[in-house]
Amino acid sequence: MTDSLFSRRALLRYGAYGAGAAALAGTAASWDRLTGADIPGRDDGSLVVATLGSAFAPAGVRALVDGFRTLHPDIKLRINAVQAVDWSDFFAKILTQIAAGTAPDLVYVATEGVQLFARHLGVPLDRWVRRDAAELREYFADVHPSLVESMMYEGSLYQLPIEFNAADMYLNTRVLRRAGADFPAADWTRDDFTALLRRMKQASDSRFTPYFWTNRLWGGVVPWLFANGTNLLAESKAPGGSWLWDAFYPAQRRQGRGGGFRWTTPQATADGVVEAYDYLAALVRDGLCTRPEGGNGQNLIGVFSTGRVGVTPAGGFWAGGLHLAGMRADGFDVQYFPRRHTQRHQFGAAGYALLRTSKQQDAAWEFIKYSARRDTLSRLFTTNQTTPARRSMLTAARYRETGPAHWRVFYDTLDRFPDTGPIPAPPQVAEVTQVLLKHTGTALASPRSVGPALRRMQGDLERAMERDV
Amino acid sequence: MTDTRIPAARTRAARPAAAAVRRPARERGTRLLAAVFLAPTVVGIVVFTVVPIIGSVVLSLFRWNVIDAPGFAGAANYREVFSDATVLVSFRNTLVFMIFAVAAQLLIALALALTLNGRMPGWLRSVFRSAFFFPLVLSAASVSVVMKYLFNQDFGVVNWLIGVFGVAPVPWLTSEHGAMATVILVYVWQQFGFSFLLFVGGLNNIPKEIHEAAALDGATGLRKHLAVTLPLLSPTLLVASVVGIINALQVFEQPYVLTDGGPGDSTRTVVMVIYEKAFEQLRFGEASAVGVLLFVLIMAVTAVQFRLSRRFVHYQ
Repeated sequence: MTDSLFSRRALLRYGAYGAGAAALAGTAASWDRLTGADIPGRDDGSLVVATLGSAFAPAGVRALVDGFRTLHPDIKLRINAVQAVDWSDFFAKILTQIAAGTAPDLVYVATEGVQLFARHLGVPLDRWVRRDAAELREYFADVHPSLVESMMYEGSLYQLPIEFNAADMYLNTRVLRRAGADFPAADWTRDDFTALLRRMKQASDSRFTPYFWTNRLWGGVVPWLFANGTNLLAESKAPGGSWLWDAFYPAQRRQGRGGGFRWTTPQATADGVVEAYDYLAALVRDGLCTRPEGGNGQNLIGVFSTGRVGVTPAGGFWAGGLHLAGMRADGFDVQYFPRRHTQRHQFGAAGYALLRTSKQQDAAWEFIKYSARRDTLSRLFTTNQTTPARRSMLTAARYRETGPAHWRVFYDTLDRFPDTGPIPAPPQVAEVTQVLLKHTGTALASPRSVGPALRRMQGDLERAMERDV
Repeated sequence: MTDTRIPAARTRAARPAAAAVRRPARERGTRLLAAVFLAPTVVGIVVFTVVPIIGSVVLSLFRWNVIDAPGFAGAANYREVFSDATVLVSFRNTLVFMIFAVAAQLLIALALALTLNGRMPGWLRSVFRSAFFFPLVLSAASVSVVMKYLFNQDFGVVNWLIGVFGVAPVPWLTSEHGAMATVILVYVWQQFGFSFLLFVGGLNNIPKEIHEAAALDGATGLRKHLAVTLPLLSPTLLVASVVGIINALQVFEQPYVLTDGGPGDSTRTVVMVIYEKAFEQLRFGEASAVGVLLFVLIMAVTAVQFRLSRRFVHYQ
């Protein structure tokens, strides 16, 4: 063939270019991957602790660091306050650090991520807990076993809980007075709750919505499912854990405890779930509650404190938030979540998880122990931005300035309703949450939408749970 | 079609003559200088564009959750993506968003640019130009947070304002059609300033003599714009539409902050799905596969635009 596109010389030249590029690519591929830790000065040997930036006040973080340095001058500590809008965002940023090769030694992990971290990244704390049992006895005596159990995965303990928030019901006392309603009793029912919303609605103008809620895993639909005696995923307990219960809790308090929660089969079309959605759809239709709004309820403080909302589910964290927003201590109060078939509450807890990649695991354990000490938590939680995991820290003095009057509800939720449990957060939590939020939005468009939306939710949940994350 | 290939025999015959004429030193120096000036851009493109694209294509063939070592998956990620209803819905949403957002953006920008190009005091023109461009310099996330407050169904200022006139609250962000319309509205409000600026520049480049000649021929008002202004502005329109479409196909901040993709999947876009798959569900291979498909879509749409431009774009 004489009419060719390339000459032999051109072909040889391009062949040489190709071989050169392949050689370069091969050389590059044979090198160890460079990571962020290879940047000079980046890895200075410090124990790196990643916290959710907005969780602690700067002064609290300083006190945390100073206290640890005094106790362990030989351990260099660096707090990496990761700014994020919620736990999901926080995990995304931690994963980015891990992908970049700059994984922290310890990560502040909430219930949403406990099992995900335990399964892929976490180190069980069992051997250290056993070793330092005498030192930890006082801690466990002060912390409710439900919180500890929520930090266990398949029989092992992965975190020491230092804070939690149960979904109780906040009420605006000004709105209550306007409606001429009494503060509800501790054993109030869902019917009492509905009647109260109707009364509030009648006593207010058209810009008022009695019940506000946010479409999220914590404090969204799930508390209503718990009150109906059901859950989004079938719940059971893993075997094991007796090594901890037998060592730290008396027989009465360790009864029924296991090796952590398991959330498995989706049950979005179960009668209890459908009924809870029907109820919420009816509230939306009757103008008694807001449409489920995505996000983290940023505008809630404003509308609650100005009396445009009467009731909303929140935990101890909101006492400080409302106080900072200028609400007087007697401007709001808190009661348990209303009963339907049960009065089981949901909660989320948080503590430090030790990562497998850490080269300073013993030092990290020292930090975990230090972070769970009462004096440490007292310095850290100064503004009632959460509920401390230690019962002894919930005192009248703590809530005198911020309120609410019934502050005991925060911790008594665990004592009064011992079956109170964590939000359903299996290792597939990200996809489960997304499916829940997505279909809750469409289910509550109208009462007729509930059935079809829950059937789609069931299908999506089944696919999500089949995945091995 | 004419065959433009050069027969090998001819090139071989020509080569000795070409080799004999050595390039002058000055020409070689100019070429070297050009290479030096181009090098930073080329290196930047290679490092920050070409390599990530190749990396993304490679990653789309692996299963990787960041934590464990990646494993080769072949085309499994693509099969998974094509059978994922959420991904397919996100592509549909993105295309719908792109069509309406870009059309609205270009129409509004063009109308305003034409209006400002008319008789108007210079200072007033400057005020309007700055005002229309200003939203573009704001952070999309910040704008979306503020808009979320404004468009809140129960407590938002917008519903309060229309309520003054007796209009019932509108579910701006909580109904399927309302949410997409609101996302488009917020996006267009922030983005039209860029197209507007391009159009103002394009209009200024049209020689006045052409307009005067058209006026002498009796073309006025809308006819003048359709017959004279638009054809002469068509190169600018092409640039504005290409950039607008590429940006719209990559929309993320507005739907993420305003609606989080909801209600249901009604405002979930392709880039949101990439983010969710990668950083929330730890499926980086699938996320990369979606990214590669989006890349192909953008390339295809842009290619079609340039192809069509041969027929509709007029250069002076």
